Amino acid sequence: MQNNLSDVEQRVKRYWFKDGLGELVAGGMILLIGLYFAGQEWLPGGSMGRTLLQSSLVLLVISGTLATRWLVNALKTRLTYPRTGYVEYEPGPKNTPSRRVFTAGIAISVSALLVMFGRSFGSFNWLPGFTGLLFGAVFIILRARSNGVGRFYILGTFCIILGMALSFSGLPMGYSLGLFYGLTGIVSMLSGAITLLRYLRENPLPAETNNE
Amino acid sequence: MNDLRGVTDLDRLIHEPARLLIVTILASVVSADFLFLQRETGLTKGNLSAHLSKLEEAGYVKIEKTFKGKLPLTVCKLTNSGKKALIQYRQQLQAFIDKTA
Repeated sequence: MQNNLSDVEQRVKRYWFKDGLGELVAGGMILLIGLYFAGQEWLPGGSMGRTLLQSSLVLLVISGTLATRWLVNALKTRLTYPRTGYVEYEPGPKNTPSRRVFTAGIAISVSALLVMFGRSFGSFNWLPGFTGLLFGAVFIILRARSNGVGRFYILGTFCIILGMALSFSGLPMGYSLGLFYGLTGIVSMLSGAITLLRYLRENPLPAETNNE
Repeated sequence: MNDLRGVTDLDRLIHEPARLLIVTILASVVSADFLFLQRETGLTKGNLSAHLSKLEEAGYVKIEKTFKGKLPLTVCKLTNSGKKALIQYRQQLQAFIDKTA
């Protein structure tokens, strides 16, 4: 047995991403946010639809954050654990549902501050580029470096390039943000779907489904 | 030479390669089920069961049959004794390697 033990530890940590379910579900959530921004731009100002949409952002982010983790766990129980086994990971130091909701609230507040900041300059053209950098940083630094999952480098680079391109596109802010989140969501879902299909093909259900 | 003899004090229960792999995997997580351990270690069911039994007898691993939804699982968890034993094993081995490097 010639496994390098630190490689073993890394491989165990990467197992969570082996099926692509995380980015598949998160991609769907990001796509919904993209539809929100596009809808904001498309619906007439002052209309009931736009008002309803504006008031739904907080609900969308909070419920999406909570629902994403539940859905991923449910899909893993159905698809992943019977094939390659179950692992319970150490939670982050403060990774509780209330903490995640709090983090989502902070994100919304920061977004609101950014809107005020942009209005003071009379332009929001920089916002997609800034968002792209944030997403890129999350993908590249947090995921790829900490867990060695190579495809997140590609996703991170895509986000940075897309954000920059949309910042220079001259599109209205709603559409450019809608395109950014929409395309990022679609690419994330595609990455997750391809990973999931490959995982299912390489890991058929064992003949005996009992654990031992 | 006396310093080098410390290698004979290594915990032989953990020192066995298959069990070292099992314990290392379990130390990286809160718990893992039998299927995951079998796939990661490459051991046969019988072989893995035997090693887990030895670790359980020593109090290093706790084994529990449970369910996740409707999915039956045999979940293995490293106990505090097991964690301490692994840390001590790694320290002893590292000390031996440092002295002989």
